[in-house]
Amino acid sequence: MLSILKTNTATTQCIILSIVALVIFSIPVSAQEAIASTEYNAYQENTSNNGLFNAGDLKLHGFVALGVIDVNGSDFVNDDGSLSTELTEIGFNASWQLDSQFRLAGQVVYLDGGNRYEKGVRVDYALIDWSAIATENWQLNVYAGRSKNNHWLYSSTRTVPFARPSIILPQSVYFDGFRDIAVGHDGAGLKLSHSNDDYGNFDFNLTYGRSPISDEQEEILLSQLATGKAKQEFDLQSSFYWQPAFSQWRFGLSLLDSDFSYESARPEKPDAFFDAEFSFQFYTFNALYEGEFWEFSGEIYQSRFETTGFYFPQHHTDNIAQGYYLQTRYKLTPDLTLLARYEDFYLNKEDKDGKKLEEDSMGLIPAYFGYHKDTVLGLSYDFTSNLSLRLEYHWVQGAGRLTPVVVPNPRKNDSEDWQLWAAQLMYWF
Amino acid sequence: MIGMFITSTVYAVEVIVNVSVKDTTLTTSQLKRIYTMRQLRWSDQSVIKVFVLPSQHELHRRFTKERLQIFPYQLNRIWHKLTYSGLGVAPTIVNSPEELFTAVSLTPGSIGYIDMPDSNLDEGAVNVINIED
Repeated sequence: MLSILKTNTATTQCIILSIVALVIFSIPVSAQEAIASTEYNAYQENTSNNGLFNAGDLKLHGFVALGVIDVNGSDFVNDDGSLSTELTEIGFNASWQLDSQFRLAGQVVYLDGGNRYEKGVRVDYALIDWSAIATENWQLNVYAGRSKNNHWLYSSTRTVPFARPSIILPQSVYFDGFRDIAVGHDGAGLKLSHSNDDYGNFDFNLTYGRSPISDEQEEILLSQLATGKAKQEFDLQSSFYWQPAFSQWRFGLSLLDSDFSYESARPEKPDAFFDAEFSFQFYTFNALYEGEFWEFSGEIYQSRFETTGFYFPQHHTDNIAQGYYLQTRYKLTPDLTLLARYEDFYLNKEDKDGKKLEEDSMGLIPAYFGYHKDTVLGLSYDFTSNLSLRLEYHWVQGAGRLTPVVVPNPRKNDSEDWQLWAAQLMYWF
Repeated sequence: MIGMFITSTVYAVEVIVNVSVKDTTLTTSQLKRIYTMRQLRWSDQSVIKVFVLPSQHELHRRFTKERLQIFPYQLNRIWHKLTYSGLGVAPTIVNSPEELFTAVSLTPGSIGYIDMPDSNLDEGAVNVINIED
């Protein structure tokens, strides 16, 4: 059985690599020219713009990122600590302008990140975009369908290798174990933008929806012992960004409110856990400075996680986690960028060193599961306008952002200090 | 026409639009809004089609710094976010100044940029926009 599984994995990898090779060798040469030329050719042939399908209004883009990652001292990517090629991200998207007000857009991604998240293909977004207002100073867009989270500093680009600042993002906010729930939602949203010559640019986003939770995602978050069904009841988020006029600074804040439920498999099947309700709130404040050579950014955040039930029917906890990260990038040349970042996060603001966690679990969960501190150095080099290489090294203290979350695994993660390095080659069109 | 692009003389970067565009003047703020995709329509409500060169192209770098007064990487970020998150549409990238000129001359509502003396422009192929601070 195991060998069949391995063969299947190998076959899947072969197919994916073939697709990657095809994409790399066929599209780059002609994609941009084709897109551009269809755009104005279509206008030549169809200047009245009354055809059913105008090729100029269809835009196709995508990306391929392959790499190697090596983690020593934790199960962040794999269980045995060996060098891994599980750092593959492939995406393909289309945007079709139906008329001056309506647009369809969708993106499919394939991901392989080892233990970080479920391996496979998913729909990143599939939406209809209604441009309700578009004047010189105001824009209002209404989105329906599956949309990306656009509220945090890097939430909408976390899945796009070349558009995020590092291969591995600050895990306290952009936790890979929570990726598939946090990355977007099925529902609706709106974006209101205002540009003002005196006061600058203002953006307000509001979204409402929910994300499905797969069995594997449930295992990653809870544990294999949870045989029941977890569900996101709703997810309400809003954010506000302001860039003062003629300023290189931008400031943002975001608010999130979400409820989850867990339906125990008991008494039909054995289940280590009971019915539960979870309530999650998350607030962030961020700032970004973009200069010619220097860039500074940071996010500070607090979350509240309330659990009712789960461990036993009368169980109730109300936990506040806090953290921040500060990041700087320096452009040594227009093509070579250096990165430095420090992140500090603790799961319980009343127990920053995790001692209480260890005591409450009667020594089963070591104190270092109560926090996560990450120091990162990295660099990224642009070979061309759409081919980049990125390298980075992380020194991590603590196991507070390793999976599974609810029932931590101190046997695999038996070290407070762990390190990782990664290299990723990224192509996009 | 090809000859004027290989000349070594550096000319000012001019903003060009398709002849269908009625606007003749833009402020730097308006131009910045158009290229950061915060203004999507011309004053007559027709749709703006934005064309650019690849981000590492020397002319693109000059255009963003001289005309838009922002850095090429900032534009990339805005466009990548729109393109790969489904939130919007980024400018169309063409490979050479010649292609950019042709695209703007053939696409109604389009905007782009060139560096060449005005006198060398094909008569009536595109309009040059007057930029006010």
